[in-house]
Amino acid sequence: MPSTVYAARPAIKRRMRLSLASKQAAFGYAIILPTLAILAIFRFLPMIQAFFLSLTAYDLVHPPKFVGLANFLDLVQDPLFRKSAQVSLTYVVFSVVPVLPLSLGLAVLFNRSLYFKNLLRSAIFMPVVMPAVVMAVVWTFMYQQDGVINTILGWLGIDPIAWLRSSSTALWAVILIGIWRATPYYMVIFLAGLQAIPKDYYDAAEIDGAGSWASFWHITLPLLKPTMLLVIVMNVIVAMKVFAVPMIMTGGGPADSTRVLPLFIYQTAFEFFDMGRAAAMSVFLFVGVMLFSFIQVRMFTRGEELR
Amino acid sequence: MTGSAEPAATRPVRRRTPAGAWVRRVVLGRGSIAAFCVLLGVACITLLPFYWMFSSSLRTMENMFSIPIQWIPDPPNWHSYVLAWQAQDFARYFLNSGVVAVAITVSNLLLCSLAGYSLTKFHYRGRGVMFILILSTMMLPLEVTMVPLFLIIKRLDWANSYQGLIVPFLVDGFGVFLMRQYMLSIPKELIDSARIDGASELRIFWMIVLPLCKPALVALAVFAFREAWDMYIWPLIIITRDSLRTLPLGISLFMSSYGTSWDQLMAIAVLGTLPMILLFFFLQRAFIQGIAATGLKE
Repeated sequence: MPSTVYAARPAIKRRMRLSLASKQAAFGYAIILPTLAILAIFRFLPMIQAFFLSLTAYDLVHPPKFVGLANFLDLVQDPLFRKSAQVSLTYVVFSVVPVLPLSLGLAVLFNRSLYFKNLLRSAIFMPVVMPAVVMAVVWTFMYQQDGVINTILGWLGIDPIAWLRSSSTALWAVILIGIWRATPYYMVIFLAGLQAIPKDYYDAAEIDGAGSWASFWHITLPLLKPTMLLVIVMNVIVAMKVFAVPMIMTGGGPADSTRVLPLFIYQTAFEFFDMGRAAAMSVFLFVGVMLFSFIQVRMFTRGEELR
Repeated sequence: MTGSAEPAATRPVRRRTPAGAWVRRVVLGRGSIAAFCVLLGVACITLLPFYWMFSSSLRTMENMFSIPIQWIPDPPNWHSYVLAWQAQDFARYFLNSGVVAVAITVSNLLLCSLAGYSLTKFHYRGRGVMFILILSTMMLPLEVTMVPLFLIIKRLDWANSYQGLIVPFLVDGFGVFLMRQYMLSIPKELIDSARIDGASELRIFWMIVLPLCKPALVALAVFAFREAWDMYIWPLIIITRDSLRTLPLGISLFMSSYGTSWDQLMAIAVLGTLPMILLFFFLQRAFIQGIAATGLKE
């Protein structure tokens, strides 16, 4: 009888589906495994090791010696480290804060009909294309005492600036390059955010009699909040790891004024071979990155109903 | 919208006729001219270093800092390119950078899309945790982990080797994120129907899923290549042998040994930027999409 066959079917089907599902799950595991293995060995393992290493004194020659928190206590009292942390903080703040209005402003200007729009956008995007090392070489050349930047400033009646030669200007010279490179990058992200805002909102606002400023303030900005948060977090992380430009342009000088933390970590580990101390600095840098991201997320979600 | 004080009816509602829209598109209005002028000024700032790099590579050393400033090199001095190219083994550095960047790009394309596929179209225990772990590596800069990572590479005896330059970057958290976001939009029914037709899982991935992801793959390729071509701190740490130097190492070494031969330095800078400029001109959309994709949220 056919009916008995039908009755037997669901059980078979369920069993088949189960084995099929587990087969598929196995395939799912298998194809993510290489990624997990690589990240585990080359990202997470070093992260954990950094904490252990920071508790030791290790010079690559003698075996590591456990020293407890000595590295951290030393660092907190070391004026060079304090100076370096301060330089990094200054770099982060002043290369992130101006980029926000600049890149958003450019994105708003591009988010409309415009003559030669694509050409202009490509031209403004170009800094993203220049490799960091090339950037360091070219800007060093432009910052020379009788270089092109001082020449242009001369047209505006500004006296030549010593740029990389003076401890009061070198960090600002480096920051300027960071802004030059970061602004077009985040402009692209803001532009994508702007284009995701439905046109109807603006039409509705226009019918309500809102001017362009009002609709920017009450529609664009609130809706861009997630994009803005993302831009700040990304930019802070990028700014915290700046290395090639100060390394090549100044090597940290003059008078330690451009020795950002990554540069100090590099020098401590690979010029002075003090691995434990360098690892302790890495831990500080890590905590800094986490703290910054956390504060920003909190600031942006404060007083906001969770949707 | 927050309602304005006046009722909408008291204000004249502007209606755009199709003809009006056409006129607006051609004439664009005063605001557009102002925006154009501002953007033109910004473009001058973003392009100045490029122009200065190129023009200085052709300027003779006598005219390098001449007053008044020599905007167009006269006579053009192409010889600086030959001299710079021969001063160090730049052919080798280019080759090394190319090998490393291509290897990293290809492996990222494969591994990130496999991981993204797994994270979107398969159900198994721990999937959410895995995704968060992979995402969290985006917040973990190399500068934090480089000291222990160097020790690991040293223990593997991979210092001064291509493996040391390539293997730690075979896959990247951002790449996985990008592919996952894109693959969310691929309908599950498509994959299921291929299964019913009897296609093997690998075949489904290769013949159906990957072709659908082409835009994301191109964006990821450009992104990965740019990062790899740009890499500086890591080769600086693990490479000491000249035959394994990548281009950024070669350029910074050239800078420290020929620091005042600006014509040659700029010539090498131009050559080092050229691959990225070419990539940008041919894959402009992908380039910009790859970056815009970092703004994707969900």
